[in-house]
Amino acid sequence: MITTQNLTKKYGDHLALNKLNLTVAEGNIYCLLGANGAGKTTTINLLLGFVQPTSGSASINGIDVTTNSREAKKYLAYIPENLMLYPNLSAMENLDYFSGIAGKSLSKTQLKAFLAEAGLQNNAFEKRIATFSKGMRQKVGISIALAKDAKVLLLDEPTPGLDPSASNEFGLLLQRLKEKGVATLMATHDIFRAREVATHIGIMKDGQLKQQFVASEISLGDLENAYLKTMDYKNALP
Amino acid sequence: MLKYNFKYELKQLLRNRWIQLLSVLLLLLFGFATYNGLQKIEEREKVITAAKEETLRNDESMVMLLDSLDRGMEISVSPWRYPNNPMVVGNYYPRLAAMPSHNFTFIATGQSDMYSHYKKPAVSRSGFMEDYTEMTSPIQLLFGSFDLAFVIVYLLPLLIIAFSYDILSAEKESGSLRLLAAQPIRIENWVLQKLGLRFFWLSVLVILAMLVIFFIFGLNPFVSIKLLLGLIGITIVYMLFWFAVAFLVNVWVGSSARNAVSLLGFWIFFVLLIPSVLNQLGSSLYPMPSRALMINQIRTLQADATKRQDEILDNYLRDHPEYAINDSTQQRTFWHSYFASENLVRQELAPVLENYDLQLEKQQEWISYFKWISPAIITQESITKMAGTSTSDYGNFRKQVEGFSETWRNHFVPYLYNNRNFTKADVVKLPQFEYMALRPKFLSAFTILGIAVIFLALGLFIAIKNRNHLVLSNA
Repeated sequence: MITTQNLTKKYGDHLALNKLNLTVAEGNIYCLLGANGAGKTTTINLLLGFVQPTSGSASINGIDVTTNSREAKKYLAYIPENLMLYPNLSAMENLDYFSGIAGKSLSKTQLKAFLAEAGLQNNAFEKRIATFSKGMRQKVGISIALAKDAKVLLLDEPTPGLDPSASNEFGLLLQRLKEKGVATLMATHDIFRAREVATHIGIMKDGQLKQQFVASEISLGDLENAYLKTMDYKNALP
Repeated sequence: MLKYNFKYELKQLLRNRWIQLLSVLLLLLFGFATYNGLQKIEEREKVITAAKEETLRNDESMVMLLDSLDRGMEISVSPWRYPNNPMVVGNYYPRLAAMPSHNFTFIATGQSDMYSHYKKPAVSRSGFMEDYTEMTSPIQLLFGSFDLAFVIVYLLPLLIIAFSYDILSAEKESGSLRLLAAQPIRIENWVLQKLGLRFFWLSVLVILAMLVIFFIFGLNPFVSIKLLLGLIGITIVYMLFWFAVAFLVNVWVGSSARNAVSLLGFWIFFVLLIPSVLNQLGSSLYPMPSRALMINQIRTLQADATKRQDEILDNYLRDHPEYAINDSTQQRTFWHSYFASENLVRQELAPVLENYDLQLEKQQEWISYFKWISPAIITQESITKMAGTSTSDYGNFRKQVEGFSETWRNHFVPYLYNNRNFTKADVVKLPQFEYMALRPKFLSAFTILGIAVIFLALGLFIAIKNRNHLVLSNA
């Protein structure tokens, strides 16, 4: 579960995040939509403990990330926009390494099972990451989350650069994690994918959460209109 | 974390071909340096052997001549070269004062390019007249010799820089650092482990490459186990220092390009700038007296003494009544006057020569006082001391030669003033020179270790203080 309370981050005079109150419950996928500089990545950085909040608090699984970031990281997995694993190591080795340093020692059978669960083809297990597409790398990233038994998944712009089938496959993977009870927070520009996979959607602008929707209660068209309206975009197509 | 870092760091280094590249490079560098060092030793030993053989031949000839003279036979030598004259023996049959090399001399050329490894002190030349200015090619002096010390002090840090400059920044630039930092680990520990493992593997490669090269060249380094351990120890500690600098730069600076430039800046500062500035300051603060002026002074004093030879000899005999009493013939030759005047010249020149030595000592003291600023100086000095080619080794040799020169002269004084002939039986009584090498000390390795610890602590402090900055700062 992810919770933020009045989470605020200032960089000098610039207010990057303004009193964000957010809750992502177990088995929910929360998509944060917003233009560049809206505060999506700052939110993720704060949850990862990469930056300290100016005020407010955030917690992962009830653990305060500002005071106990390392403990909180035991329960979370993170997939950045460009998931760069070690190109000279195979998918198995990358999974073994990241699980190992996170404190999980896995057998070869377990490693293979997690890669397979993440949707990676068997013949790619022993191949070096250097030969992988972005979609394949993300599957390895998901396998790291699975192996870690993460309760929270943070995704920062995961879909750009994915072809439609890879993007769809990625959506299905998130659904599978949702069924396992993982709370997912995804920062994205992709309204279509957000509408497809999310349980909840929030629109951010200038560091503030402007609107929130239950995904099943809003159509794609209404979501797009709401987004453009929030962004003060005047030239929307009819 | 260490188990996984150890396992996958090695795999990555092997797959990146770093281990293979470093192995080949180290073998080539150590191989070429050892070859050069051994060539120099061979030349040095050749010269000493030739000088020894010449001394032996001269001695055989002297014994034959003395034997003939003892039997009252005529010999085919000018009377002024008859070896029954002790001054002829003292002057034309000198002993060899040699500074032989040892098992590890090949590791550093040191001062061996500047000084001769043997002298033949004769009675007509005082110790201070033994010049030590046999220079090698000025080009070589400018760039130094390509020996093991050069590889360790100058080139090894460059390999370490190439091997470690982007340990954190490469992860940052590729994006994998964010994924790493999202794991429940301390990122500064991770960097430290990565660098520690690279230090470990490079140390293993350096030691193996050294031993392989030694064996290829037919050397048995285990003969001098203390020196071998000393060489390995100082090299490892010096490498640790550079890895500590790399750690500081990695956590402090940022991008790979800036890290590389900063590390090269450190290299220039520690390896080139500090040693040359210290040398320059030492020479400026304690300038050496002009050698030309000193030689002029010697010549003036000698000319003056020559004019006053009779008076000087009388004074000398007044100071040494034992010679006047024992001398039944009262026969006085050139040598009697020469010895007496030489003594006077030496006494008058003593302050000039002492000043010369004093300035040299002050220069060395100045450098030794500040040498801890640069581990490169300490390492270079330690290796040359292990090789027996340091300034202090040649100073020690020079002092021993001067001492022997004095012993040699004094050996013939009673013969001269007692007007005794030199005989075949006296040959075995001739003083012999035996070089006593200085014992190298290995304490300086602790100084480098201390500096390395300071850099590591500083790096760790910065890393902990800027833990988040390490992950997010723009690469």
